[in-house]
Order: sequence, then C-alpha cells, then structure tokens
Amino acid sequence: MEIVLDGLPLARRLTRASALLDITGLEVRYGGIAALRGVAISILPGQGVALLGANGAGKSTLMKAIIGLVRAAAGEIRFDAVPIGSLRPDRRARRGIGYCPEGRRVFPGLTVAENLAVACWGDVARKTDEMFALFPALAARRASPAWQLSGGQQQMLAVGRSLMNAPRLLLLDEPSLGLSPLLTDEVIGRVPEIVAGGTSVLLAEQNAAKALSVCDVAYVLKTGVVTAHGPAAALAASDDVRAAFLGG
Amino acid sequence: MLALQLLFNALALGAAYALVALGFVLILNATGAVNFAQGDLVMAGGYGGLVLARMLPVPGVVLLPLLMAGMAALGLMVALVAYFPLRRRPPEAVFISTIAIGIILQNGTNILFGPELARTPALLGDGEFRWLDGVGGGLVVSAQSVAIIVVAALLIAGLHLLFSRTQFGRRLRATAQDREVASAIGIPVDAMVAATFAVGVALAGAAGLLLARGFFVTPNDGGNYMLKAYIAVTIGGWGSIPGAVAGAALIALFEVVFPALPALVPALGGPAFSQNGATIVLDALILVILVARPQGLFGEASKARA
Repeated sequence: MEIVLDGLPLARRLTRASALLDITGLEVRYGGIAALRGVAISILPGQGVALLGANGAGKSTLMKAIIGLVRAAAGEIRFDAVPIGSLRPDRRARRGIGYCPEGRRVFPGLTVAENLAVACWGDVARKTDEMFALFPALAARRASPAWQLSGGQQQMLAVGRSLMNAPRLLLLDEPSLGLSPLLTDEVIGRVPEIVAGGTSVLLAEQNAAKALSVCDVAYVLKTGVVTAHGPAAALAASDDVRAAFLGG
Repeated sequence: MLALQLLFNALALGAAYALVALGFVLILNATGAVNFAQGDLVMAGGYGGLVLARMLPVPGVVLLPLLMAGMAALGLMVALVAYFPLRRRPPEAVFISTIAIGIILQNGTNILFGPELARTPALLGDGEFRWLDGVGGGLVVSAQSVAIIVVAALLIAGLHLLFSRTQFGRRLRATAQDREVASAIGIPVDAMVAATFAVGVALAGAAGLLLARGFFVTPNDGGNYMLKAYIAVTIGGWGSIPGAVAGAALIALFEVVFPALPALVPALGGPAFSQNGATIVLDALILVILVARPQGLFGEASKARA
C-alpha cells in the first residue's frame, strides 16, 4: 500500500525533504517554444546523477535553469530545501552550486591559476593545490594563459574552476565534448572521486555508456521531457535506453 | 638634442593619453559598449581639478586622489544612468546614451565656467630643469612633464597590480572576458561592471587634471580626447590593454614629432606641418588601419576564444 500525505506519496515526500536539489514542474521557454516541460528531478547529497539525452533534448537548458542563466517560466527549484528560482546566478553559485559550462568557456586571457582563483571564496592556495592534485596536467601550466591550453586541459581547468568554491552540487555539462576517448576517461573518470568527496554531481552527457558507468542514478531527457529515470545500472540494461543512446 | 627633447615631450603627452585610452578600453571590455563620453569625462576632470583647487590651495598631486574619488563616483552615476537601463538593448543604445552624457557634460561646464580657457594647478610646481646646456640647445624639462610621467606611470603600475594581484582585479578581468560564466561561478557581475566604470572614469579624470595645466581646458575639448582614445585603442588592437597604452604613446609621438619635422629635416616645410596637419594625417591613418588591419597593429591573440 502506498501512503499518500497532502497529495504526495510518502516515499516521494521523504526524498524531497532530504534532497540536496529538488526540481518540480520545471518549464523553460525560448520565445514561444518550450525547451523543458514538467521536469522533476531530485538529487541526494553525495549522489552522482547522469542526465542523458540527444543533442537538443534540453540537457544544457536544465543546467542553465539550475544555475540561473535561463529563467524558468514555471516550476520550482529548491536547493537545500530553499527555493532559489528567483536568485541571481552568482547567489546560487555562492550557496554551493558549481557550474562547468558546455564548451568549457575558461577565461581565455587569465592564467590557469587565475582561472581557478577567481572562482574561490575560501583559501585560494589550498584549493588550487587540491585541483592540481586532481588534475596534475594543470600544475605544469599554472602560469599559462588559458587560451594556450589544449582542449582536454581546458576541460580539466573548467572542471577545476567549478570545484574551487567547494560546491555541494556540481553541474557538469557535456565534459566529453570534443575530447578524445582517452581524455574523456581522464575527465569523466574523476566523477566518482568528486562524489566520494561529498559533492553531488549532475552529469549531462551524450556519451550515455560512459556517464552511466560513473553515476548512481540517471534521468533521460527527450525533447524537453523526462522520459525515464532510475538506477544507472537498470537504465544501462533497459532496452529502450540501449536503443536510444547506446547504439542498440 | 632636439630629437631627445621631442621624445621627452611625447612621453609626457603619451602618458596622459594612455590614462584616457585605458579608461576607455576597460569599460569597452567590461560592457562590450563604447563609452563615447570618455573624452568629455577627461574635460570634466580638468574642471573638477579647477573646482577642487579653488577650495583647497594645494599642489595638484594632493588634489589628484580627491579628484579621482569624485570622478569614480561620477563613473558610477554614468553606469547607473547610461548603461544599466540599456544593457539588454543593442550596443547602439549605449553609444547614444554615452554621447548624450558627453553633450550634457559639455554644455553643463559651458554654463558653469564659460567657454574661456581654464587651467588646473601644477602637480608639484612650474619649475624647469635644464640639462646639457652646452649641447645643441640643451634639454628643457618642465617639472609638470616629469610629474605627469611619474604620476601616469604609478597609476598604470597600480592598475597592473590591481588586475594581476588582487581577487577583485582578476574578477574584473573574468567579467570582461565572459560575463555569463563569471556570474555562474559566483562573481557579482553587475557590481564588477559598475566598478569598472568607476575605475575607467577615475582614470579619465586623472588625465584631465594632468593635461589641463600645459594644454588648458575648455568645455569643447571632449571630442578631441575621445577621438584620441578611440584611435589609440584601434591602433593598439580593439580591447587590448597593453595595446591601448602603446597606441596612446604612438599618437603622442606623432603629434609631437610631425609639426617639428621641418626643424629636424630642413627639406620639409610649409603649413602642412602643423598641429592641424598632424590631426588630418592621424585621422587619415586610422581609415587605412581600419581597412587594412582591423585587428589593430598589435592585435591580441588572447582575445580569440580557443
């Protein structure tokens, strides 16, 4: 028997109460077109969550709606049980959300060390050392302007930058974009380590197999709607998901 | 010896122009919009120095920090009135709004001070140093020129330290390079843009005080300084900070050397080699650069997003 309280199943209520990020009924429109409709997502503390979907499914839009770069037309976004939907992006970031945008977007004229420093409101030297430990390839380039780095190094820098303020939730948008399989492993392979450190991760990826292998739970987006969600292992085994994303 | 004298004069002029151009390029980078009031803000700095000097009879160098603080406040007002309400409009809206600010400043100073030449106090004093008297006419160096070079160098060095050594300065640069991502990693970008206006206009004001001793100031001077800032930034590479300084130095060198060419090369002569002639050649040159090398003489690779 399912217990229902105030219109919500009890199990769902308990999840909401303990969720780090809880999104309900989210709708985002670009002009007249709905990019996201009725999206509901819940992320627990210390959970790695994959966000799967084809190009244009709305993964990046969802990431931007969470950090506040696009405005929601409807729905609610709660972080730590507090509604954050009306806050500016910088306020959301300072509350503990790290954002690593699609296409890396490091600050090209800033050095590697400066790219990391600008995103830190704590002990800059200590956090910088932590990032160099996580991505040793960056340490040797610390004084280089970011535009001189290779694509893979820029991606590591973008991930490092989004971790500098010790976020409790990290939004990783398509970190494998334009990277070789080896570098993809290098970057996405760090996700379990980041999650083990206590940071929840929402990983948007077209490379579904890779994302499912490092996450606990997954959501599938299709033309702006969540079409499936569940444990990563179950989704990896599901015929529908395999057909849609894993090449059958 | 004449060449050395010209070089020194050009250095003093270029140092002041560099402050104008730096203020211009900082605001350009932070907002993507051209602040066409920059020249009139230099002029306003000249009159600001004049007003301060009437209240406090002290050397210009003491007035400078007060003036820069006042001009920074004026910069915040310019941002509030002419930039923030229009930032989601096309960049042309900010062109027009800053032109309007410039015209208001120009006519406002005309009402308050009249169209006559005005002059700010010297930074330290009006003395002259004469060096190498026996050699080819010697080198005459005014205390004001030396003070201009030192003050501008200190301001530029201070700016460099601000941008490279402080979190605040690095975040200003990050905001200028990618405002959306800057906000998404926690930087309050509106406050950063407002601060950039404060710094940029404070630099214009400092230049106004520096220039309005030797070159005087009238309410109509703004357009001239505006054009110089624009040319310096175009020569130096749109958006490049070192380029703006180099561009300003080149303009000053040209303005000082061109009218003096007949004295250096006796074969040259005639009315073309004058201040007016220099202005014509400089503006013709800018047309050539815009067409032939739109990235400027020192176009910066780091502006390209990899």
